[in-house]
Amino acid sequence: MFKTSKIFFCFLVLFVLVWQVPACYNFFMAKSVDTPFTLYSSIAGEFATLQVDEDKKMQYRDASGREYTEEQFDSILPTFYYRQLITDGRFPDTICGRAVTPRGIQLSNFNMRISPLDLNKPRLGIQQMLESMSGRVDLELPDDVFRITPEGMEFVKMETNAIDHEKSARFTQMMKQKGFLFPAANISGNPTDRKEYDEGYVMLDAAGKLFHVKQTVGRPYVRAISLPEGMTPEHLFITEFPSRKWLCFLTDTEGHLWVVERESYAVRRTEIPPFIPEEQSMLIIGNMFDWTVKVNRGTSECYYAISAQDYTLIDSMSYQTPSHTLPGLSFTSTKDKFVKPRIVR
Amino acid sequence: MENIIECRNLTHYYGKRLIYDNLSFGVPRGRILGLLGKNGTGKTTTINILSGFLQPRSGECYILGEKIGNMNPLTRRKIGLLIEGHVQYQFMNIEQIERFYASFYPNWKREAYYELMSRLKVAPHQRINRMSCGQRSQVALGLILAQDPEVLVLDDFSLGLDPGYRRLFVDYMREYAKAEDKTVFLTSHIIQDMERLVDDCIVMDYGKILVQMPVEELLGKFRRYTAQVSEGFRMQDTDGIYTPSVIRQTLELFSMLPEAEVRARLSLQGVADVQVEKVGLEDAFIGLTGKY
Amino acid sequence: MIKAIFYKEWIKTKWYLLLALLVSLGFSAYAMLRISRVCSLKGAEHLWVVMMQRDAIFVELLQYVPLILGLVFAIVQFVPEMHHRSFKLTLHLPMRATSALASMLSFGMSMMVLVCVPALLLMWVYLQSVLAPELYWHILLSAMPWYLAGMAAYLLTAWVALEPTWGRRVLNLVLGVLLLRIYFLAPSPEAYNDFLPLLAIITLCYSILSVLSLTRFRDGRQD
Repeated sequence: MFKTSKIFFCFLVLFVLVWQVPACYNFFMAKSVDTPFTLYSSIAGEFATLQVDEDKKMQYRDASGREYTEEQFDSILPTFYYRQLITDGRFPDTICGRAVTPRGIQLSNFNMRISPLDLNKPRLGIQQMLESMSGRVDLELPDDVFRITPEGMEFVKMETNAIDHEKSARFTQMMKQKGFLFPAANISGNPTDRKEYDEGYVMLDAAGKLFHVKQTVGRPYVRAISLPEGMTPEHLFITEFPSRKWLCFLTDTEGHLWVVERESYAVRRTEIPPFIPEEQSMLIIGNMFDWTVKVNRGTSECYYAISAQDYTLIDSMSYQTPSHTLPGLSFTSTKDKFVKPRIVR
Repeated sequence: MENIIECRNLTHYYGKRLIYDNLSFGVPRGRILGLLGKNGTGKTTTINILSGFLQPRSGECYILGEKIGNMNPLTRRKIGLLIEGHVQYQFMNIEQIERFYASFYPNWKREAYYELMSRLKVAPHQRINRMSCGQRSQVALGLILAQDPEVLVLDDFSLGLDPGYRRLFVDYMREYAKAEDKTVFLTSHIIQDMERLVDDCIVMDYGKILVQMPVEELLGKFRRYTAQVSEGFRMQDTDGIYTPSVIRQTLELFSMLPEAEVRARLSLQGVADVQVEKVGLEDAFIGLTGKY
Repeated sequence: MIKAIFYKEWIKTKWYLLLALLVSLGFSAYAMLRISRVCSLKGAEHLWVVMMQRDAIFVELLQYVPLILGLVFAIVQFVPEMHHRSFKLTLHLPMRATSALASMLSFGMSMMVLVCVPALLLMWVYLQSVLAPELYWHILLSAMPWYLAGMAAYLLTAWVALEPTWGRRVLNLVLGVLLLRIYFLAPSPEAYNDFLPLLAIITLCYSILSVLSLTRFRDGRQD
């Protein structure tokens, strides 16, 4: 007994050291690697960067090393700095040969962040389905929530904590009629009233088929989305961007990013090289001409320029971001919202 | 005679300080042995080793033939332990503590405990931490009597007791131990108490045993010698002579040697007119160990 | 004999246990009262939506209650044993020292369960009436590590209290505080779900540490 307790004590000391020593070292010694702010410029035809140098002065450059003034930099990234250009009275009539308006730029701009933190976290299991065609300008949160069980969709009135059997049956029936196999394997929506319009949810059913489900005038709207041959979707991201061009983005099991166009439900693959959504974060800054896609791959930060028309890869570059952290034991991670012991390298 | 308590070659250090080296002693059945020594000579160390709360550097101790350290827990039923200061569970009252201990001892003598408690002027629900040290000592004694162990180990039983309670404790303990043939090992810093109580004594000095014999034999042999000496006198040849000292031209020394031999040795050094007297246990202890 | 040890522990801790039960129930009842006030002022819908959209669980004030209850419980139970070293009396009892210690710790753990379970039951029963199972389990599972922390605090404090030397006691204390941090690292609700079973096992293992203190006490380790 004494021996066991002594061994356990030594184990605990070791355990705490392996946990705390690297944590303290990394806390005090680790420096963050600053990579320049980088965007693709369709006007310059290459990536443009903004960096603060040692004298705390802004340095504006492009990938070939050409230097720019601040005003020039605004001009080569007109969709990003359009408000500055308007203020300066320099907003152009055309960009890359296309007639543009500030409103048009504003509508087609979007930011999209795909973070491991949003994928690796406990899910509550209940969601809210908004009314997407209420006839009112502002969206309203409903008075019920829904869950998806192996039997179907179940709506629960919040005030009474009671199941709305009639509505549940309506949705379940419609979904089954459209070929939805319960339960859902994955579901993505953005149930908030702080958005311009509502597209409800995209869902993967138990058979791996993709569906669009929303509520219009109190009735279920269910649409099966046909997927290209051989493609297995994994993570879904509803977009609801102001441009209304896409229904959602999704990744497949091979790490490719796909888009589902809103009007046609066409599923199209982007040429962004594969990434691992559970481990690598992705940030897309898009405009009507191109997307700058930043993928944080751990030891490097990769930038890809994608054509907004046909999703082809236009350009790419990367920064090395070597980390000098001490490996050790940790309970939390920047990549998930779970607490559990794990070895961090 | 069978030794109920037996310690062989005990050696112990606190850090680098030697407490004792190769200490051995035994207590035969039915005897009461008192351990005497000045502060820091290792009395409490010995009690702690005997009661299993200290692992000596080397050497071994046996009680009732079982080695302390891997003693069968049930053997402890036969060993009564009194902790320094008559410590008992402070949070219990006299009824609760009796009920608690009773479940551990099949031969529990409830009456013996309550007979002693009836003489205490405490309410049955008075908690032990509200009692005087004297009252606590009676509770501790009552518990030992009810346990009725074969061997008793008492650590400095006189600590904190006024003379009345000390006398009460000593007389009770002696009568009980003799009537029931109990073996007792004890320490106390008040030597007069020991004189009334113990059969044998061990007198310890720093790192060693000075004397180990029955008290009767010690007091029968031990004498104090005093004489007037001239200024600058220094005693030589101290073999068999304990703690000789000269204060204001008065020589004082102690010895267990026959009186004639001591007188002869002294006259060889020019000391005449020697006074001899018998001493009690306390003076014998001081004679053996010195005042400092 | 184990019954007698339980009796001794009961005498020592009964008033504290009553207080602990009241505090534990009181805090849960207060947390439930706050939820019921939200319901009556803003409607149950508000409660549901805030929970779904903002990671709120409405019982954050319970976070350190079990921890403090466990810590004080161990102090109430074990400090009297160290007072005048009366733990010697317990070790002199005619039973194995480890059995005596195990009885004391099992008494403590049972009492901790007795103090915590009514509070959890109270929440479970009330929350069922206003929330969907997903939401009340969300609350209860988020609170689970706090209750485990209470158990851990009890066992680790017992270990520290029984340690005979101050030097080692301080070391144990530092280690104990770091080990208790593990229960309070949640970045968001339900973060411990997967780790809970293992954490519960680790928590129970802390009881074996007291054997180390016991042995050091018996070997007469001193400052």
